[in-house]
Amino acid sequence: MEERDPSVVARARDGDRDAFRALVDLHSRYIYSLAHRMTGNAQDAEDVVQEAWLKAHKQLARFEARADFRTWLHRITVNCSIDLIRSRRHREDAHDPADLEQGPLSERGADTQPTPERVAASVQISDRVQQALGLLTALERAAFTLRHVEGMSIEEVGEQLGMKTSATKHSIFRAVRKMRTALEPFVES
Amino acid sequence: MTNHLSEEELILHYYGETPRAAAPRLAEHLASCGECEAANTRLHRVLTLVDSAPPVDARPGFERDVWARLEPQLDEGLVRRLVRRSAVREGGSATREGGWRTFFWAPQWALAGGVAALVVVAFMAGRISNGTDVVLPAPQRAAASPERVLHAAVGDHLDRTQMMLVELVNADTDQLDQLAGEQARASDLVAANRLMRQSAEQSGDGAIADILEDLERVLLEIANAPADVTSNELSDLKSRITTEDLLFRVRVIASEMRQRNRTDREAGDRPAQRLPVS
Repeated sequence: MEERDPSVVARARDGDRDAFRALVDLHSRYIYSLAHRMTGNAQDAEDVVQEAWLKAHKQLARFEARADFRTWLHRITVNCSIDLIRSRRHREDAHDPADLEQGPLSERGADTQPTPERVAASVQISDRVQQALGLLTALERAAFTLRHVEGMSIEEVGEQLGMKTSATKHSIFRAVRKMRTALEPFVES
Repeated sequence: MTNHLSEEELILHYYGETPRAAAPRLAEHLASCGECEAANTRLHRVLTLVDSAPPVDARPGFERDVWARLEPQLDEGLVRRLVRRSAVREGGSATREGGWRTFFWAPQWALAGGVAALVVVAFMAGRISNGTDVVLPAPQRAAASPERVLHAAVGDHLDRTQMMLVELVNADTDQLDQLAGEQARASDLVAANRLMRQSAEQSGDGAIADILEDLERVLLEIANAPADVTSNELSDLKSRITTEDLLFRVRVIASEMRQRNRTDREAGDRPAQRLPVS
């Protein structure tokens, strides 16, 4: 979405608190969706949104007036999501260096796995997709989102997540395989 | 055809990341192998389905909650920047103009630190005591002098204190529970009041320091009143507030602070007088 009123951004840059609040009101929902797609849960998404706005406020003076504010904010949000995922990854390294994917975050996905009842009850595509995404580990989800949604190359995804290209590739492969297993019956029906 | 394409190859093909050398073979195979072409189509459908899912939306009122969490943190950042800028500006002068200047710089720096602390306390007091938005200096005013921040903070503090005193003076002496409510607000205001008084004393602003000293006494009295206060004691307290003309004096100083804030703002808005932004 285009910035509805570029003068709002200009006023916010000049330190107008009301203008900054207007930006928060206008864009928070959008960056929440983005952060949720990256992190996979509401609490982390809210933390990312908070952090993204703090960074945006701090760096607003450096924002170029010609640029699109939402695009700039999008980038900040993606970076904040990556920071959160990477910090988790370090903790997972310490927890279980042998296999990042088997850390506590993978357990979090378990409670979103579709039970037969949930699958039967849910006919919404978005529910199906969310359930499928819930099966991914944090790293798989981040790698998949950066490649599939953000359109980064696998090499760039690896750089962003601090992973080797081969490991990034395998994270994306695993993610796609899980998505395919979960969603293929739905597609075929 | 026996050597079918692997799932990994199909995924890389979908994302356009097939190694250049392997691309012709892959395209040729897909064109001639129905099984792999079907697998490729299924993969496309699944990934298209992912794209078609609407994004997860935040709960109603999310924006309001974000702002409620964000705003105090913005103010903390503002105060930190204000103090840092004061230090850089004044520290830079001291370095350029010789060591003797640091002697004169120290009290100003102390004032900046005090003001920073009182802005935080005043902000917190305002948040806790009445839940209304506190008018704090906007970021563009962050480079303003500590005195200017003091004026803004004192004006805001006096407005809040005045509101509390008016409610107390107008309270029915039989409504003793009203005092309990005002006690919590008074406790919050005392800490901010003390810091502002000290800052006003350091900056040599006697009129502000005097009124804040009188206020502090009354606020402490309200805050420390016993739980079983009687109607007569409440009556005494109200009459002291009235007879000492405390409310009138608070109004006068608050009005003066507003005037100074306006003057400060106008001065700050004149380009020639703008302070350097680091």
